[in-house]
Amino acid sequence: MAQASHSKSLPADLSAPPFVDGWKSRALMVGAIFSVIALILAFLGQAEDGLGWDHVLRAWVLGLMVTFGFAVGGLALLMVQYCSGGKWGLLLRRPLEAMSRTLPLVFFYWVVTAVFMKKLYLWAAISDPRAALDQGLINEIQAHCIEFKRAMLNPATFVWAGLVCFAIWAYYTWRLNFLARKRDADSPANTPYWIKKFENISGFGIVVYAVTMTAASIYWVMSMDVTWFSTVYGLLYLVEQGFQVLALAIIVSLALSKAEPYKTILRQTEQHDLGKLTFAFVMLNIYLNFGQFLIIWSGNLPNEISWYLDRIRGHWGVIITLDFIFHWLIPFSMLLSRDIKRNKKRLTRVCQFMIFAVAFNQFWLIEPNFKDAARNLHFSWGILEYAVVPVAMTAFWVAYFCIQLKSRALVQVNDPHLAEILEPEHAHA
Amino acid sequence: MPAREGTYGLLAEFDTPGDLVRAARQARQDGWRRLDCYTPYPVEEAAEAIGFHRNKVPLVTLIGGLMGGAAMFSLETWISVLAYPLNIAGRPTYSWPAFIVPAYEWTILWAGLSAAFCMLALNGLPALYHPLFNAPNFRDGATTDKFFLCLEALDPKFDLSESKAYLQSFQPVSVVEVEY
Repeated sequence: MAQASHSKSLPADLSAPPFVDGWKSRALMVGAIFSVIALILAFLGQAEDGLGWDHVLRAWVLGLMVTFGFAVGGLALLMVQYCSGGKWGLLLRRPLEAMSRTLPLVFFYWVVTAVFMKKLYLWAAISDPRAALDQGLINEIQAHCIEFKRAMLNPATFVWAGLVCFAIWAYYTWRLNFLARKRDADSPANTPYWIKKFENISGFGIVVYAVTMTAASIYWVMSMDVTWFSTVYGLLYLVEQGFQVLALAIIVSLALSKAEPYKTILRQTEQHDLGKLTFAFVMLNIYLNFGQFLIIWSGNLPNEISWYLDRIRGHWGVIITLDFIFHWLIPFSMLLSRDIKRNKKRLTRVCQFMIFAVAFNQFWLIEPNFKDAARNLHFSWGILEYAVVPVAMTAFWVAYFCIQLKSRALVQVNDPHLAEILEPEHAHA
Repeated sequence: MPAREGTYGLLAEFDTPGDLVRAARQARQDGWRRLDCYTPYPVEEAAEAIGFHRNKVPLVTLIGGLMGGAAMFSLETWISVLAYPLNIAGRPTYSWPAFIVPAYEWTILWAGLSAAFCMLALNGLPALYHPLFNAPNFRDGATTDKFFLCLEALDPKFDLSESKAYLQSFQPVSVVEVEY
């Protein structure tokens, strides 16, 4: 072929550039500073309204959901990529694998949540709903729901379901990472065998992921309000994970492209494709969120609508309006532009903003679950924990991610897409 | 338009998009302005190579979409609030959540139609005649697997024999002269 002579060749060293260590030390520093601020705020909050440590835990769940989204969402996108194929995946595979290998840290975050579950979940705190009702601690509906949902929402099942989910995610993480290494060491002649093998593991894995992820989101966040349920809840988190994982993956690949080997393999075509894929998740996200709202608004049933009223009345309307702007309007308007999608600096900015929007949305989902905050958005030292604890947790997660990113070569060889990605941009067919 | 006679341009045929883009880039760099690329599928880099400038299609699409959304939302508001107010399950007559879905659909519809018709209006399609179809290799290859670069006779640099030699230097499959 004529253009073969014009294609680039891979650099000899495929490992992550040295500046990844710089990211790691910066992340550790941010983590340490924000941990100290979180401690100070906790004491201030405790002195103010006695909810300082409660707010630390609530913000902890936010940090758990964000880092869990990166780790397990990264695993899910990796599996989707193995099934769908495509050149964009070759860029993301190693960063996604590194994200999936951060699961131990997320497990630790979850263990802390499980240990303090009595402070977070009404169904865990109250073992005798009738007595609590008589004492006036909870209302009739809550008492009924705690009793009715006891089979699923009880401390032992919470722990067991969590352990089973983590075991499944760990299994898939180990299997995909282990086989990817084996594939790299194998001869290129066996590539068709490996492609099929990864497809078969991932295809079933995606189904298992959807089920376990739904269980996790129900147990960890939805059950904070014991009276409410939504059948689309797991799917909302699933889309949210695609949203945040793609945003982070774009940030990482563009940052890595300042040096080899990403300098060679990152083309504008694939960058543009990733931007378009992220745009699809932005649309899917508003579609599901608005769909849930429209259905509950139309039904207007007392047991469903109160969840929204808790999150709209008492100044919470400001937060959901901002959430709509941050989570949809801004990413949508920005990613609509072809120029922004093809500009490294601007695309990075948009993606960073999108990750902030994910955390902001979680704040709106988590805080109004609690009696002191429902229909009553008010300032306290404790509420500032939402801006501090998740930052510290995510910073430590980033440091761990950098270690994992450095541990392997950044480009998967033995892939038919590699030859295509090394060709000049106009050679695509 | 009066019937034109003489040479429309010189047509070079390439086997790969890569060769076409390199040739087009070089020709543009050498000062050619009346030139065009023809490919069986969109090759964005070819458009960039010959200095494709921005057009008004995105703007018209945006305006069309916003107008469509605003029109439907206003229509629904007018019907529900003024023309035919109904009490539906005690909700206010101005119930915006219910208006969103049709307004959204109209946004898409009008954005799509605006883009399609604006594209046709600006690019001069449908055209009943184009001189390039006089070249047999163009007729056979332009929609299947060949990539063409055409230097048009309107360009001041155009000279039949010199330009032919110039195109030959890109080592195309063939260079043919196309008549009006």
